[in-house]
Amino acid sequence: MQHFLEIFDRANNGEYISEEDWDLQKVAATARRLVKKYHLEWDRQQIVVDDTQLIDAIYQAGFEMALELGVYCRSTERVIKFQQEEIEEALKVAPKNIHMGSGKDERVLYARKLNDEKPPLFFGGSPGSPIPEEYFLENVISYVQEPLIDLATCGTLTVVDGREVRTGHPLEVVATRRELKKMHLALERVGRPGMGMLGAQSSVSELGDLSVASPNFLRTYDSHLVPMLNELKVDFRNLARVVNSLDYGMINASLPCVIVGGLGGGPPGSAVVNVASFLLANLVCQADYHLLHPIHIRHVATSTREVLWVIGAVGQAFARNAPSIIVADIYPKSGTGTRELLYETAANAIVNAVTANHLEGCGAADGKYPNCSGLEARWMAEVALASHRMKMSLQEANNWVLKIIPLYEDVFSRPQGNPGVPFDQVYDLKTVQPKPDWQNLYESVKEEFRKEGLGV
Amino acid sequence: MNRVYLDPIQQSIIDGDDEAAVEGVRKALDAGVDPILILNEALTKGADIVGERFESGEYYLPELMMTGRALKAAMEVLKPAMAAKAASSSPEARVKIVIATVQTDIHDIGKNVVVSMLTAAGFDVVDLGVDVPLSSIVSKAEETRADIIALSALLTTSMPFMKDLIELLKARGLRSKYKVIVGGASVTPEWAEAIGADGTGQNAVEAVHLVRHLIGLN
Repeated sequence: MQHFLEIFDRANNGEYISEEDWDLQKVAATARRLVKKYHLEWDRQQIVVDDTQLIDAIYQAGFEMALELGVYCRSTERVIKFQQEEIEEALKVAPKNIHMGSGKDERVLYARKLNDEKPPLFFGGSPGSPIPEEYFLENVISYVQEPLIDLATCGTLTVVDGREVRTGHPLEVVATRRELKKMHLALERVGRPGMGMLGAQSSVSELGDLSVASPNFLRTYDSHLVPMLNELKVDFRNLARVVNSLDYGMINASLPCVIVGGLGGGPPGSAVVNVASFLLANLVCQADYHLLHPIHIRHVATSTREVLWVIGAVGQAFARNAPSIIVADIYPKSGTGTRELLYETAANAIVNAVTANHLEGCGAADGKYPNCSGLEARWMAEVALASHRMKMSLQEANNWVLKIIPLYEDVFSRPQGNPGVPFDQVYDLKTVQPKPDWQNLYESVKEEFRKEGLGV
Repeated sequence: MNRVYLDPIQQSIIDGDDEAAVEGVRKALDAGVDPILILNEALTKGADIVGERFESGEYYLPELMMTGRALKAAMEVLKPAMAAKAASSSPEARVKIVIATVQTDIHDIGKNVVVSMLTAAGFDVVDLGVDVPLSSIVSKAEETRADIIALSALLTTSMPFMKDLIELLKARGLRSKYKVIVGGASVTPEWAEAIGADGTGQNAVEAVHLVRHLIGLN
C-alpha cells in the first residue's frame, strides 16, 4: 500500500457482502476452519500456554485469517483486502520503540520479548469507567502520583456542568477537552507534567478525538484510541481518527476488543481473530501500538479463564513471531474496595508480565461504575514487577494463576457482580490517599501473597 | 410416530442448518403433523437445547446466530400452516418485540445475542439493527403493533437516548402501549429504574426471563 488514503479506494471498490454474511460466513466459518486445521485447543488448567508449537500455530492461523478475510468496511459494506507483502511490510515498519512523554517523564514503550530483561511499563487509569466531574481530577491524581506508574490514562466524563454527554453531541467536544485539561492539571500537581498519555477517553465517537489534536490537549507524544469494531471491521467515522493523526502525528493505539465466545468461538478461535485484528490494525488503524483487550461474552472481565488464556496466547504469539508493542488492558469484574478486585488484578498482572505485554489498568466493575482507584494500579504494577524480578517461567505463572483464580471466580456467578464502592468512598478526596479500610485490605492481600512467596 | 418427523427438525435447529429445518418442517406438514406440535416439540425444544449450551459455555455466538437463522426460516414455512389451521400459536409467538441499538451506538454483538435468545425462546423479534433513530424505533413499533420495545447500548454516552425514547413515547401518548426494556454492558438496574424503563437484564438469558415476566408467563 503506497499511501494510507488508498484504504478508502479499497473500501469503495472491494467485494460487497452483507454484514450478517461477513459475520457468519467469513469470520465465524474461517475461525472454525482454522481452529480445526491447526488443531488449536485450550485447557482450563493451562491458562498460561507453555507450548511453543501451539503459540506459533495460533500466529500462523491469525496471519492466514488476516490475509484471507481482510477488513470489513461497515460504511460501504465492502471488504478491504491486503496482499501478503503488505501485511508483512506493515509488520516490518511498525514501531518497536515509541517515545511517550517528554523530559524526565519520558518513557520508551517497546516491543517486549519473552523473558525480556527490561520490565513492562504501566499505564495507570480506569479506561471506560464513568467518573463524575466533581472528583475526576482526584481520581486521575490517585493513579499518576504512584511512582510505579509510567504513563497516564483515565476514565470517561459522561456529565459536564450537570449535562449528560451524548455520543456525537457537541458536548462530547467539551467533555474530551475538559478531560485533557484535568489530565494535564493532575500531571502538574504530582510534578510529572511530561508524562505521556493515552487520552481522549471521553471521545466515544470521533468528534471529541478530532477536537483535541492540539498541543494544549493531546500532544504529539501522547496517544489516542483507534478502535476496530467486532470483528475485523472498521467504519469511516473511526478511520477519521487515523486521518486526523496522519499529519499531526499523534500516536495511534489500535483497540480491537475481540469477544471471547463471540464470532471467533472459544478461546482458540478468539485468539486467532485477535492476532488477525492486530495484523490488520497495522494497516487500517496505522497502529503504533496495540491494546489487547479481549472481552468475555457473558462476564466482560479479562480475569476469566478464557480471556486470560487468550491474552497470554496473543502476547506470546507476537513476541515469538512478530515482536510488536502490545499493552494489555486489565479489566476485572470486581470494583474498588473489594478483596476480589486485588485477586483479579494479580492474576492479570502475572499473565501479562510473563507473556510480553505491557499493562494498563485497572478498569473495574465492568466499566459501569466509578468504582476504581490508584491503589489497585499500584498493586497491578507491584505484582507484575515481582513476577518479572523472580524471572517467573510460563509454568510457574500458570501455577500462580491457578492458585489465584479460585479466590475470585465466584464473582462471575453473582447476579449483580461485585461492583464495590465509588472512588470517593475509598479515597480521601483532600489528601488523595486511600482511606484506612481500603489501605488495610490492600496490605492484607499483599501480605497474603508475600507468604505464598511472591516478592511484592 | 411423530418423532420420526420431529427429531430431524429439532436436530436441524441444534445444528443451525436452515435448509434442513425448512425441509423437515415441509415433510412434517405434508405428513399431517400438527403445526403446534412442530413448534413446541421440535423448534422450541431444539432452541432450548442451544440456549442451554450457550449459557453453559459449550456453544458460542455463531451457533446461537445460526440457530436463530434456522428458526426464522422454519417459521416462514410453519406460520401459514398455523394460520390455515386457525391454530393458536404458543404464547411467546404472539408477543412481538422490536429491538434496536439506539442512535449513535454501532455495537451489535450484545444485541445479536439477545435477538438470538429471544428468537430461540419463540418470540416474534423484529431487529432494526444499530444506530437506529428513536423516531424509527417508535414508528416500527407502531407499524408492527409490537408489545415490547427492547433497547441496547454499549456506550455510556449513548444510554441517554434510551431515556429520550421513553420521553418520546410519553410525549406521543404511547407509553402505556409498550413495555420498554433496556440492556447493554454499561446499563445498570439503577439506570433502568431511573429512566422509567420496565426492566433490564444483565445478560441475554435474563432478557428472556424478563420478557416472560413482563407478559405474565412466569
